[in-house]
Amino acid sequence: MEEGLTLIQENLAILAPLFILQLILMVIALIDLAKNDEPKGPKWVWTLVIIFINIVGPIVYFIAGKRR
Amino acid sequence: MQWTVILKKELTENWRNFKWIWVPIVFILISIMDPISTYYMPIIIESAGGLPEGTIIDIPMPNPSEAMMMSFSQLNIIGVLILTVISMGTISGEIKSGVYELVLAKPVKYTNYVTAKFFSYWLLMIVSLFLGLLASWYYINLLFGDLAFSQLIVAALFYACWLTLLIAIVILYNTWFKSPGLIAFLSIITVIILSVMTNIFSHVLGWSPAKITEYIAIYLHTGDLDTEIWFSSLIALLVSLSCLLFAIVSLRNKAID
Repeated sequence: MEEGLTLIQENLAILAPLFILQLILMVIALIDLAKNDEPKGPKWVWTLVIIFINIVGPIVYFIAGKRR
Repeated sequence: MQWTVILKKELTENWRNFKWIWVPIVFILISIMDPISTYYMPIIIESAGGLPEGTIIDIPMPNPSEAMMMSFSQLNIIGVLILTVISMGTISGEIKSGVYELVLAKPVKYTNYVTAKFFSYWLLMIVSLFLGLLASWYYINLLFGDLAFSQLIVAALFYACWLTLLIAIVILYNTWFKSPGLIAFLSIITVIILSVMTNIFSHVLGWSPAKITEYIAIYLHTGDLDTEIWFSSLIALLVSLSCLLFAIVSLRNKAID
């Protein structure tokens, strides 16, 4: 476990942009969901999907979560 | 200018529904994911455990051009899918919801309408593609070794021709069918058929647009541009142009009906 932590610390410069981009994607999807008056399917399910499924969750929401 | 007005409307719409943020981010993520995970693969396998003591993990590191091709092949699958899905309803959706009639109640030229729609998605594609490849290039230089920036730009430009064709096909189907799902499905099928046919008749179809990725791989590896990549790209652009022309004509015919 400790080994893993030091590994992450050593490679932070490489991995940080990855996490930041994922975070932005998630936040944007959540903002969009908050503004979305009638999403396809219940809001709380989308919230869970966006937060807990990395990358794919927000993408699926943006593609399938809205009524046109 | 009528054209700029429609374009502006499209850009605002795509900005408001965050396409201008999430599509570039997703393109960056899919471009850098494979090179990064390949780089860390030995560590990942080691820490996942389950291997007997003393196992030697010896995975050859790809050279920079191979790593770059990982990004391209990801873009070729997920990038193509995403571009198709975000543009599948651009005209058909407006026809369905009635916005289309509102727009064309004004004296809007079909040419302006179709080309502005096309251009708005083209712009989104170009920006996302370049950001994605730029990020991937940065990581490849960091992790695998040097790759000339000029090579990246040239490869990206040729690859953009292929994606241009994709968007033109989606726009064309938009004017033929009403269901966005069907449009996305048919566009993907078209691309798959094109790729499969090109693979089967590889020796005859040297100029097929589906071969652009293959030529890019050669270019990144050797640094020489095949003459055929020019023809493939030219054909991609010409077919895109005719798709757009067909789209305009079929919208016009629809209005007469």
